[in-house]
Amino acid sequence: MIDSFFDFFLTLALPHGRGRGRTAFSHPGGKGRGCLLMLCMLILFAPSLSYSSTLRLKDEVGREVVFPFPPKRIVSLAPNITEILFCLGLDEEVVGVSIHCNYPEKVKSRVRVGSYISIDFERVISLKPDLILATGAGNPKEVVERFNTLGFPTYVIFPKRFDGVLQSIRHIGQVVGKEKDALRVIESMNQRRERIVHLTGGLSRPKVFLQVGDSPIVTVGRGSFGDDLIRLAGGENVAGREREMYPRLGREDILKRSPEVILISSMNPNGDYERIFREWERWKMIPAVKQGRIHLINSDLIDRPSPRIIDGLEEMARLLHPETFKK
Amino acid sequence: MRILTLKKVIAVSLLLTLFLGWVILISVMVGSVRVDPRQSLSILLRYVLSLKPTEHEMEETIILSLRLPRALLAGLVGAGLSVSGTIFQALLRNPLADPYILGVSSGSAVGAIIALLLGLSAYSFGLPLASFAGALITIALVFYFGRQGGRVHPNILLLAGVITGSFLSAIIMFFLSISQKEELHTIIFWLMGDFSFANPRSLIIILPYFGVGFSMLYWKSRQLNLILSGEENALQLGVEVERLKILSYLCASLITAASVSLCGLIGFVGLIIPHAARLLFGPDHRLLLPASALIGASFLIACDSLARTILAPVELPVGVITAAFGGPFFIYLLRRRKVVKTL
Amino acid sequence: MIDLHALSFRYRQDWVLDDLSFQIERGEFVGIIGPNGSGKSTLLKTLCRLLSPQKGEILLDRVPLTEMSQREIAKKIAVVPQETYSLFPFRVIEMVLMGRSPYLGSLLFEGPKDLEIAQRAMAWTEILPISERFIDELSGGERKRVFIARALAQEPEVILLDEPTANLDIHHQVDFLHLILSLNREQGLTILMASHDLNIASDYCDRLILLKEGRIYKIGSPREVITREHIEAVYGCSVWVDDHPISGMPRITLLKKGTPLHET
Repeated sequence: MIDSFFDFFLTLALPHGRGRGRTAFSHPGGKGRGCLLMLCMLILFAPSLSYSSTLRLKDEVGREVVFPFPPKRIVSLAPNITEILFCLGLDEEVVGVSIHCNYPEKVKSRVRVGSYISIDFERVISLKPDLILATGAGNPKEVVERFNTLGFPTYVIFPKRFDGVLQSIRHIGQVVGKEKDALRVIESMNQRRERIVHLTGGLSRPKVFLQVGDSPIVTVGRGSFGDDLIRLAGGENVAGREREMYPRLGREDILKRSPEVILISSMNPNGDYERIFREWERWKMIPAVKQGRIHLINSDLIDRPSPRIIDGLEEMARLLHPETFKK
Repeated sequence: MRILTLKKVIAVSLLLTLFLGWVILISVMVGSVRVDPRQSLSILLRYVLSLKPTEHEMEETIILSLRLPRALLAGLVGAGLSVSGTIFQALLRNPLADPYILGVSSGSAVGAIIALLLGLSAYSFGLPLASFAGALITIALVFYFGRQGGRVHPNILLLAGVITGSFLSAIIMFFLSISQKEELHTIIFWLMGDFSFANPRSLIIILPYFGVGFSMLYWKSRQLNLILSGEENALQLGVEVERLKILSYLCASLITAASVSLCGLIGFVGLIIPHAARLLFGPDHRLLLPASALIGASFLIACDSLARTILAPVELPVGVITAAFGGPFFIYLLRRRKVVKTL
Repeated sequence: MIDLHALSFRYRQDWVLDDLSFQIERGEFVGIIGPNGSGKSTLLKTLCRLLSPQKGEILLDRVPLTEMSQREIAKKIAVVPQETYSLFPFRVIEMVLMGRSPYLGSLLFEGPKDLEIAQRAMAWTEILPISERFIDELSGGERKRVFIARALAQEPEVILLDEPTANLDIHHQVDFLHLILSLNREQGLTILMASHDLNIASDYCDRLILLKEGRIYKIGSPREVITREHIEAVYGCSVWVDDHPISGMPRITLLKKGTPLHET
């Protein structure tokens, strides 16, 4: 920990290059001088050791954010952000979460600050956060602007598609001072993705219909996470050409597209999936129904831009190519 | 012989203002985060008297940047809706009239939704300006249809307003049906009334509209009394009825449009408060207008305070609270048939 | 005092008032009579500029109505309406004070002088005891008196009345007409009254204007206007006209259809 702090401090002091190698220790004969320097700095900066500095960054929507680094009190306004934070090893630092945050389990008892659009500003302020993390795909601009005017730095991520998730994990890692952990997570996710892509490379792509909404029926179109995952998992999204991210299709239209696999995302916790299944059963001319390939899939895994999206991908691959992924 | 004098109007207004001040105080002291009442008071006093701020930065921010602007905005909108409701009830000679009856609300909503869909809401002026424009265009349209032979007929105007409003509502529903998830939430929230984005800047922008609207309407309040017993009567008593009607409609619509542009649609206030004020203070507009304004302000501030504390951290839309109070009160009014002969 | 020249008015296609010309002197009590649709009400409405005639002009003290503001007209001409319906009822004193409106202009509150004038008007119409009551609680007769008081508060020179005795019980009719007559005789107010009751018109008015289909059929004293020929020509039914045994003024009696007539 001290290592990274030290590194960072030096990279600020030495503007040329953020190379990890360039510390006092690497200077020839510098071990002794390095220790002395470190001692001096410790003495000089001991009182402000808790906040070594402020960081000035551009967030994923191009806004400039200035905040104390590393942030010790973080508020997350979306469940995917919360998951990322915990995945990077933070815990007590996350002082406030949204009401939708449900993973990991311990988050369920954290202080709730509101939904995506209805934020309890008072509660957030009372938590005295150093940094607020928001997502462009969910939290309205007005909320972010409001926090700005009130003087609370807000960093906005805006992940789009699978690669965007990796990016956001990386950025958040940089922002909270856990860049190394972030890179590790990303590496692991990449590896697992590569494996799936490799295994499904030569296989034929089944036509997939992913249902994310009921009454009306909503599916995933171009640019959505679901669409990306279907592609990566070796399938073909029947709605892949739709320009809207979450297009609404009528049942006849779906019929026309003859999906071979129907995936139903667990869109709401008390959802009546029995009913939805039975609805589909009536349309025996759909290949997926005929072959009994209608499956439930956890929406938290496939529609939430968090580290667990790789789990969702693996689950989907298993459902699309059961012979290849016998586990 | 008791007649209405300036002294009486001032006395009542003062009393109601004191009440309003008390309501603002209470509303600043309640919230989802517990702030010690004495601290709240001290922060408020220091701010009002321009004294040095305390070190309690968090509480200061909550009180001065969140609760106070919100209370002031709710008060202003409450006053505005009540006054325009009073005016519409007088001009249309209809006790069921409210500020939205001429389609102003639908027009504002369409303007706001268009702004939201085009992404203009990112700018703090975008949304209010667009909804204001929507309201003005609607008023112009309704007046264009409602004028016949150079005169404004209340019933034709009403019809024009209702039809325009319905048409615009259909447009709103069309937008809702083609919107994506995220936009939908925001639109719906705005349609139900939302004070959570109150900030001093929007207050300052809207204040002139309220000020000008109120003053003009109050200036004509005595003549508005005359219109209550019929336009012919008023004409025969020397009132330039057509001019008065147009001026009043315009001012009331302006105030309504300003209110809606700030915080969406909040129902019942403009319908109920005029009746409540009339019950307490009589139908004379010289007293009724200030009374409606002050009572309406207090009412909406109280409702908003409830809306943001009952289910914290999630906020209820203010419209839900006003309806919860408004509904039963209206039923009470209906049973007291003495109040309005036609009901 | 009031001059009409070639006054013509129409709502749509047909002329409701067609080329009317007459003069009314100050202090006259004039009755406007004629069948329904002959233009009585319309005539009154043009006289207070509620309606604007398409042709002709009306002069008030030699000043055309079109050159006067609504307020100026209201200071000279007051109207006692047939019935008003108030959505949110006011008290009697408040209603009467509304008559001061033309003199208040942009002022918001009535002054002591206005109150004094209103009180005098209420005293004159004997409604002081009910001055605090709400107008919707009063009887028809009391309400009519409130409107007269309001008209008086306008300090007018002319009072217009449109079918004022319709819907009134006979004792109220007598009281009301007595009041109007006193206004004319004692205060010198010019009265224009439209009435479908020919006997009342005959009894109270100095002059009568008989309208038929928007034109003046006959104008003159009751004796000149109310004759069997005129009434039959305008109304199209048989009547008996004689002199009232007590007042001496022409009296009209309706005859059942088919009654044989003989000269007296």
